[in-house]
Amino acid sequence: MNQPLLEVENLRFRFRGQAQDVVQDVSFRLGRNETLCIVGESGCGKSVTALALMGLLPQDSVRFGAGQIRFDGESFAPGDHDRIARMRGDRMAMIFQEPMTSLNPAFRIGDQIAEAVERHRNCGHAAARARALEMLGKVGIPAPEQRLDAYPHQLSGGMRQRVMIAMALANDPELLIADEPTTALDVTVQAQILELIAELQAETGMGTIMITHDLGVVAEIATNVAVMYAGQVVEYGSARSIFENPQHPYTIGLMASVPSLTGPRRRLSTVPGVVPAIGQMPEGCRFSSRCPFAAPVCAARPDLAEQDPGHRVACHFAPLERTLERSA
Amino acid sequence: MTDLILKAENLKKHFQVGGGFMAETKTVRAVDGVSIEVRRGETFAIVGESGCGKSTLARLLMRLLEPTEGAIEFDGRDIAGIRGRDLRELRRDMQFVFQDPFSSLNPRMSVGKLVGEPIETHRPELSRAQRRQEVARLLRTVGLRPEHADRYPHEFSGGQRQRIGIARALASNPRLVIGDEPVSALDVSVQAQVVNLLHDLKSKLDMTLVIIAHDLAVIRHMSDRVAVMYLGQVVESGPTDEIFAHPRHPYTLALLSAIPEPVHGRERTRIALSGETPSPASPPSGCRFHTRCPFAREDCATRVPELRVAANETRVACHYWEEIAATRPKAGLTPAAARSEGAQRRFALYEAATLRQTDRPETASNAGATT
Repeated sequence: MNQPLLEVENLRFRFRGQAQDVVQDVSFRLGRNETLCIVGESGCGKSVTALALMGLLPQDSVRFGAGQIRFDGESFAPGDHDRIARMRGDRMAMIFQEPMTSLNPAFRIGDQIAEAVERHRNCGHAAARARALEMLGKVGIPAPEQRLDAYPHQLSGGMRQRVMIAMALANDPELLIADEPTTALDVTVQAQILELIAELQAETGMGTIMITHDLGVVAEIATNVAVMYAGQVVEYGSARSIFENPQHPYTIGLMASVPSLTGPRRRLSTVPGVVPAIGQMPEGCRFSSRCPFAAPVCAARPDLAEQDPGHRVACHFAPLERTLERSA
Repeated sequence: MTDLILKAENLKKHFQVGGGFMAETKTVRAVDGVSIEVRRGETFAIVGESGCGKSTLARLLMRLLEPTEGAIEFDGRDIAGIRGRDLRELRRDMQFVFQDPFSSLNPRMSVGKLVGEPIETHRPELSRAQRRQEVARLLRTVGLRPEHADRYPHEFSGGQRQRIGIARALASNPRLVIGDEPVSALDVSVQAQVVNLLHDLKSKLDMTLVIIAHDLAVIRHMSDRVAVMYLGQVVESGPTDEIFAHPRHPYTLALLSAIPEPVHGRERTRIALSGETPSPASPPSGCRFHTRCPFAREDCATRVPELRVAANETRVACHYWEEIAATRPKAGLTPAAARSEGAQRRFALYEAATLRQTDRPETASNAGATT
């Protein structure tokens, strides 16, 4: 009963020629109608995790570890490209940050959506175009009959992102992966797009993985949150638990760096330095090179251990206030 | 009287576009009648979404563009039409920090050259050795190390490059610095570092700061007064605290209500805007916002609203803001929900621990230039 839609267990891979894993032991589960947000700075392995799930990494340059993916009860290895290719665009779909570069500028948008339908459904071109028209209406594009024959450059950024969503959802996928879908958009347009995704999710019951660096977006839409740092999940839990009771120093640093819209204005806390490049990651806890609490024990990798029910943290010092205030 | 350092009156910049084979020439009214006043020593912010003309306005104030119409005064002197030597002198007093730390630094110049170049131009009296000393001082001022002078931009992270850009802007000892989205290309943790740096520099060097941004949280954090732009015009302006606590123009209301806030489970009334910003080549008649305004009435399409005084030094360009405010008593944002008691202690610990590190902001083992 209540089988999750997607379970990822210990996803781990590196690129050929690199000495360290790009993504290390990433695990999470996603139910139908749920939204998992993967949050972190650039270079933390969020996008590359999504690309791996979608089988979009170049096969000959990536080496997977022993992890496992379970999609709707079926298990397979993350490197099983043929299997993933059959599902991609059909049972699972993805939308990207930059709608201009992900749409083909030389084709009419109606044909681009129809192509996705024809690829996976045994239907003729006419039926596929009818589906494209239906989808354009569904994602709130005004006068969809005319827009069917428009080229991507004739649309605004928000409209292009709607077209991307129409294309991704044309085959009623059970899983939608959205990689920073609103980062390039203005806030008022971002609000429209987030609302659209939420509406479509409520309608179809799909599970959504949203990759973002914006904690505001996370608070708004997430059911569960995975905080990633340097290819590892450092904190994982329900959105409520993550925002009301954050544990990992990285999560706390990220939250404290965001200027607030209310309350007194105070000096911002920062996370010193930047994410190290692959090959320069410290041993053990990868955050230790930037962590203000780092100690010799951090040279050993901390387990992602449960702090509260369902809320896991990878830090030797969690909960910080108990371990640190005592020693201070 | 308040001491103004920069003043713009009815500033306009119209661009002619198109006009190629069989194409009609169109006039893009990028900035269309903007008046602002910047006080000495304050941080003044200009906020708006893409296409509202905020970057064009910044370039006009800086005189990187020549206005089509209107007056700009810097320190009581008209600078709208100056050229040559006068313009060069203006550049010494007024500097610019650009958005993109990747494309705004010449990749073939060392950091020492990049920072030394404006010193050479604006302070030719300095000898080569003095200049090198000055470069070292500037690099320290922005949190870099003097030995970074021999390295090249590609060896630095985004945040560090933005620091180099700031050092360059400070080289001529400017009295006013204009930043066009100075932190929006940076990750939030690095953004906080640069926001703090700008804040420190401003008080230390006695500067006036004009910040152009689309991120309202950054604006609120950094600025004393703010002007909200829509389609080439200012729709609301006033003290930052007042505007964020009591937004009056429907566009400001919508902008504020659209920001997702990192607080879980907050109840909020969103003022949804339909559609997107119209093209500045054919702005709507009357109030330019009426095509998207949820409160628009019939005469908004014909009557142009003036920017008029509302309260507490705030000005609003809306015919009906009083009535809108009366029907929406809670227009501002509600205070953030509480974090758990343990979490609050954790944030305090984190803050104290990072503060101990701020004297040496770039000393984390990986924060030096990558090789």
